[in-house]
Amino acid sequence: MTITIGLPSKGRMKEDASAIFERAGMKIVAVGNDRSYRGRVEGFDDVEIAFLSASEISREIGNGTVDFGVTGEDLIREGLSEADRRVEIAARLGFGHADVVVAVPDIWLDVETMADLGDVAAEFRARHGRRLAIATKYWRLTQQHFSSQHGIQLYRIVESLGATEGAPAAGQADIIVDITSTGSTLKANHLKVLSDGVILRSEACLVRARKPEHEGNATVAKIVEAVRGVV
Amino acid sequence: MPLIDMPDFAPAILEEFAGRNTTRVDTPVIQPAEPFLDMAGEDLRRRIFLTENERGESLCLRPEFTIPVCLRHIETVTGTPKRYAYLGEVFRQRREGANEFYQAGLEDLGDTDAATADARIVADALACLHRVLPGRAFAVTIGDQAVFEAVVAALGLPSGWQRRLVRAFGQTDVLEAIIARLAKPEPVAGLSPEVEGLLEAGDDAALARHLHDEMERTGYLTNASRAPEEIVRRLKEKRLLAGASLDAAKLDALKEFLSINVSLRYAPGVLADFARSAGLPLDAAIAGFDARVAALSAAGASLADITWRAAFGRPLDYYTGLVFEVTVRGEHDVLVGGGRYDRMLTLLGAKEHIPAVGFSMWLDRIQKAKEGAAIRKVEAGFRTESPRKSGELR
Repeated sequence: MTITIGLPSKGRMKEDASAIFERAGMKIVAVGNDRSYRGRVEGFDDVEIAFLSASEISREIGNGTVDFGVTGEDLIREGLSEADRRVEIAARLGFGHADVVVAVPDIWLDVETMADLGDVAAEFRARHGRRLAIATKYWRLTQQHFSSQHGIQLYRIVESLGATEGAPAAGQADIIVDITSTGSTLKANHLKVLSDGVILRSEACLVRARKPEHEGNATVAKIVEAVRGVV
Repeated sequence: MPLIDMPDFAPAILEEFAGRNTTRVDTPVIQPAEPFLDMAGEDLRRRIFLTENERGESLCLRPEFTIPVCLRHIETVTGTPKRYAYLGEVFRQRREGANEFYQAGLEDLGDTDAATADARIVADALACLHRVLPGRAFAVTIGDQAVFEAVVAALGLPSGWQRRLVRAFGQTDVLEAIIARLAKPEPVAGLSPEVEGLLEAGDDAALARHLHDEMERTGYLTNASRAPEEIVRRLKEKRLLAGASLDAAKLDALKEFLSINVSLRYAPGVLADFARSAGLPLDAAIAGFDARVAALSAAGASLADITWRAAFGRPLDYYTGLVFEVTVRGEHDVLVGGGRYDRMLTLLGAKEHIPAVGFSMWLDRIQKAKEGAAIRKVEAGFRTESPRKSGELR
């Protein structure tokens, strides 16, 4: 059985992932030229590499078309329903750190916690004739955090695929749920993270699709062991 | 086998509806999604079937009837009182059971005599069930948002805390977390000396001006979201909340109330005893509760089959009073869910306040109950699993 590993196709994530595998004794080489989207691992004839975009990696692991992938935990938890049943986080790789957070305008001096936000959301309709609007690309994580964990039902999600931090100032939404690594973009847009507003502390992970044929497969075990040994 | 065809007992239900002074309505299967998401919240999104039209507007397959029936009532500017009946397919993503199934129900709009309308709707639901499941015994569970709100108000908490408790009604975990937090104060921190100073001085106008200037300086639109005055008002309220806590006796009273689970025959007495022993002024709420019990009795409902569970509620802001569920006695499947939703019509855009109460019958579960009865005759001990879940619209 050939084991396929999905890796980020470009940027820092690609370099960092390749570096980890190299340290683990699994040097990745491109098939054909440098721009190729296929690769192999020196000394591992039964392993192939598929270079994919980060969000596709979570989808492909979810439906089992790749056996392993390197991607952010945020994309796994956002992209897959029942993520823990379908995939296993085999190793946390120590790069690509970023938090998915709930952030509100600095000027909302009265809002420090999700409970405060719950108060504001409950009254919003009566005061403004519409529900509290949250700009985000994280539909699933937002719903879990607001609805399931904090019992806040009455809000609306405004889909935002980029420049989410600018949405409150521009009046497109009231608050945001977004990913932040240093917090500097939030600060520049006069937003603050709620004290219990960290939904997920994400980093790049080696993720395995839970497939029955992985049971007892030596290559699968070897890949996990090799990567775990260097992180 | 999922119920794709209309169940054969549907005509009997429609006949029952027709004899109960109702107007039959139908609504399109494809509905704008906005009103549903607006009323029930974003959590509904993953439980309905959504699509978009060419203009990017969200559409969904009808997940229930109450909202479309109410919207239709508002659009057609029909007067009240008005009793609507419906029967048709609804579409929801469910872990168990089919994604398309039939519901039937009544919506009773505009009757200002709440007790009588409540009793009538419960009696209507029971009559329909007796008609389609003859010879079976049913168990009704009722809850009352108004009584809970009255208890919370009588405890003497600041209004902010009252609203938090009321909002959590029906969500056991959330309510318990809030009650636990009520035992300890929640200080307001992180304010600048300037803001602290203005708060100390009680100069709301100056504080609002300060916030307004900050918004201008940081490039925030001042009219798009929360206004400076609103932030000032809640900041002051929050400082009040911070100091508020419930003494042990009142906390115990609240917990005791939420644990009440009693046959409606004894419920008025239990509620009166609770108010007396806890020393809470609940006269108005008790009067409303007792009037409903009397009306149920007058409508011919058997009080012995009805249980009042004080913690039973639905965490949606349009429910205001009665909520109820009906099962076959000893079983878990909720066959009928209903309640009073006095706030819904104005939220949907009605100009005047329209009191409303209604119920929905789950025809797929009723079908199962019918089949269950047939199976039970040959196979003793057969039990159906429970599809009862929280957060359903009804």
